[in-house]
Amino acid sequence: MGYVGKGVPSLTNTRLVAGRGQFVDDIALPDMTHVAVLRSPYAHARIRSIDTSAAESLPGVIHVITGDEVKANMNAIPETYDTGAVGAKGVKWYALCLDRARYVGEAVAAVVAEDKFAAYEARDLIEVDYEELPVVADPEAAMSDDAPLVEPDWGDNIMATRDITLGDPDAAFAEADGVATGSVRSSRITGSAIEPRGCMASYDPYDDQLTFWDSTQNPHPLRQYLAGTLGVPDTSIRVIQPHVGGAFGLKMPTFQEEPLVAYLARKLGRPVKWIEERTENFQTGGHARDTRFRYDVAYKDDGEVTGIRLEVLADVGAPTALCGWGMSFVTWYCLPCVYKIPNSETHLRSVVTNKCPWNAYRGYGKDAASFLMDRIMDHVARETGLPRADVRFKNFIPADEFPYPQVSGAMLDSGNYAAALEKVLDMVGYDDFPRQQEEALAEGRYLGLGIGQELIPEGCSMPGSLILNGSDGVEVRVSPTGDVTALTGITSPGSGNETGIAQIVADGLGCELSRVRVIQGDTESCPWGFGNYSARSIIIGGSAAQLAAGDIREKMALVAGRMLEADPADLEFSEGNVTVKGTPGQAVSFDDVASDVYRNPHGANMEETEPALEATRHFKIGNVYHQPEKQGRFSAYPSWPNGAAACIVEVDPETGQIEILKYCMVHDAGTIVNPLLADANLHGGIAQGLGAALYEQIVYDEAAQPLTATFMDYTIPTAVEIPRMELAHQETPTPFTPLGTKGVGESGVGAPLGALCNAVEDAFPDLDITLNEVPLTPSRVWSAIQEAKTGAPEREAVSR
Amino acid sequence: MKLPISIAINGQTRSLEIDTRLTLVALVREELGLTGTHVGCTTGNCGACTVLLDGDTVKSCCVLAADVDGQEITTIEAFSTGASTLHPIQQAFADNQGLQCGFCTPGMVLSTHYLLGQNPSPTEADIRHGISGNLCRCTGYQMIVDSVLDAAQRARESAPSASGAAE
Repeated sequence: MGYVGKGVPSLTNTRLVAGRGQFVDDIALPDMTHVAVLRSPYAHARIRSIDTSAAESLPGVIHVITGDEVKANMNAIPETYDTGAVGAKGVKWYALCLDRARYVGEAVAAVVAEDKFAAYEARDLIEVDYEELPVVADPEAAMSDDAPLVEPDWGDNIMATRDITLGDPDAAFAEADGVATGSVRSSRITGSAIEPRGCMASYDPYDDQLTFWDSTQNPHPLRQYLAGTLGVPDTSIRVIQPHVGGAFGLKMPTFQEEPLVAYLARKLGRPVKWIEERTENFQTGGHARDTRFRYDVAYKDDGEVTGIRLEVLADVGAPTALCGWGMSFVTWYCLPCVYKIPNSETHLRSVVTNKCPWNAYRGYGKDAASFLMDRIMDHVARETGLPRADVRFKNFIPADEFPYPQVSGAMLDSGNYAAALEKVLDMVGYDDFPRQQEEALAEGRYLGLGIGQELIPEGCSMPGSLILNGSDGVEVRVSPTGDVTALTGITSPGSGNETGIAQIVADGLGCELSRVRVIQGDTESCPWGFGNYSARSIIIGGSAAQLAAGDIREKMALVAGRMLEADPADLEFSEGNVTVKGTPGQAVSFDDVASDVYRNPHGANMEETEPALEATRHFKIGNVYHQPEKQGRFSAYPSWPNGAAACIVEVDPETGQIEILKYCMVHDAGTIVNPLLADANLHGGIAQGLGAALYEQIVYDEAAQPLTATFMDYTIPTAVEIPRMELAHQETPTPFTPLGTKGVGESGVGAPLGALCNAVEDAFPDLDITLNEVPLTPSRVWSAIQEAKTGAPEREAVSR
Repeated sequence: MKLPISIAINGQTRSLEIDTRLTLVALVREELGLTGTHVGCTTGNCGACTVLLDGDTVKSCCVLAADVDGQEITTIEAFSTGASTLHPIQQAFADNQGLQCGFCTPGMVLSTHYLLGQNPSPTEADIRHGISGNLCRCTGYQMIVDSVLDAAQRARESAPSASGAAE
């Protein structure tokens, strides 16, 4: 009996429901100043000159900064995803544009003022003389020989290329019973945390210490990147993560504003705060997933897929120091996901354009790969006339073939995909659905059932990276009174991992959960760690916590054994009591053991034993192989959570409107530490997946001007659009973490895309509809229905 | 330009000189230091800045402080004085994990308070419509809806003596 496996509500709930959390904009310091950032109104322009005189003379303005000052005083921002390590091209990106802006919103100048009113007013008084340059707005056009260049030094617009072949695709296609060909597209989206980005810095010149509060996921890496940009020792910077109002990957460093604010605070000797506006977030806060796929698939009449050729073309926006472009690499890396396809050929082209750069977003590209494979399996089902579930069952990697090496070099740790799909089909009522569909049709209602299969690898570890890394640290301290503090390198953006850590530590020590306090997000007190992303907090941070608690427990068992005159191996630690197995009367309290360790370091119980109860441990996860083998492949993901979803929708053929009547998911993240919080994360992941499937799209016009810059244009779902979700867990523990945990933080987000497309197609059994592009806006669905009815393509209202 | 106003904030009367450009949310957060009311968009879409103005929910980013002279404002801070005195709605959210990051939560609690005042026995559909002016990106709303259902039940069970701190 223990806490691991119990659905304990998050330890931060009480403070947050009371409105007593402290988010970065809640921090106010005496003498605080405010920053407003001037951003490029053009997608591509040379900056001829900047006149700041009118802005500087406005009352309340303290300083106006442009690229010239940045160039003279700051280094380029270090890359967070090392382009060189995977043979990609990189750029030098500065806190402000030096002489050229490459997307609408790129930071050109900034004002520091006594209050926000003065800062915003002065920002509007800065005069920039721009020379417009040719714009790259489309990734396919970007690949043509005469395309303008986003980065003239590169010679082309291709940032990363991967081409890998496994087996003999040519033979597979020659011997196939049939070949299906098609294209799939996932739209440009963004994470839209309700709290925008923001940071504040305060400098103490007497101690040469900069304190930097940031709505970030990664305090320790951010400190390195700030130090690198400023050219100062990392010990002169303390990064503190206050409460974070949602992140979903998008608050991974390093954006232009972070080093800019750090620099300004050091220069001016006053606290400097910058809080992002929502429109700035849509223009500059990081985009994701804009990917076009082409596929050829060779199959047998029995549904077996024998060969596949896949092309991935990702529009990663402008290149920067952010890690988001790596999502395109991961999309490619996951293919062909949960399927065993012996002859595979996969190609990646990550292409830059004059749009907002990608930054990490929940799913990190795995979502798009799962979407593609769902569409392919449904296509094979359509061509062969086989049920779509059967085609999946036929091609799954069998449960007894793990660890399974995928074409990219990925090493899938474990899984039982067929069992998960069987279970979800049962939950959704797959066998009975044709009857339900027929009855509805008799009433003039169009119901469809769809299946989605996702593979969302976690614990990302890239070679040479100071952020995407498969290790993390936890320090556990037991005080003289038996109270417990756990300090972690991982952080929580609201996902509840502090609660999971406390559960693991309480079980590791054998103390009550209420005795454990978790401290996160402070580079001065917490051990080194990479922070939060890739659902790594419990699988890597949790494992470190278990190791550290284990070290302390071992020492306490030694001391308690001497106190009780028992063999330490015979002791049981539970709920704050240490007892000898078989003799319940022979006991000592956890607190008394702790007290003895501290009070009597020279006593008999502590003979030849190091004083105090503090342990720091770092966990390095297994199943990562960075030594490239032939074709340059390596294993970057240790853990491969997966899931199967099924949904039933009703479609209004007159409007193209979709209503989700039922959404079920069976999820496999190995051992679950906290089922309540795991479900909570899944709900959030599914809702974001449904948003991307149905409603969300960042739209740019031909001049790469963003047309979706507020929540009125970019519509994330409200409580009305999201259905009640039915979840079930399947636990196939990974052999690569001590508890068998696989990670749950991004799960749920991948399956909705394929499931919804498939369900809408299924709602019209008599029409030949193929929906290979999301979001499924009413106009897109209506157009597809009209086209299938009349055979003529209808004009679509959705642009790029 | 400065303007004198007088307001009742969480039951206390205050007279202030304000900048006429100030929004209600800036008044609450920056002038009065009540930072439980949050800002997510400033366009009236996300609802993180929801407060009660004379008992009705408003998005305080879209109200000018100059316009609330003589009115009563209630913020999340009125709903509890400490960890052991959470309002039943807050307790229901905490117990049912009706939040994750907590940024939208104060607005959700205010909208729930208003909804339950109008409709003490809402259906799930009523609740989903009742909180549709408040965006949450973490939870997928399911545990929020469960929290509101639980809060409604708690209120019904303790009626008629129940009264929120915010009344």
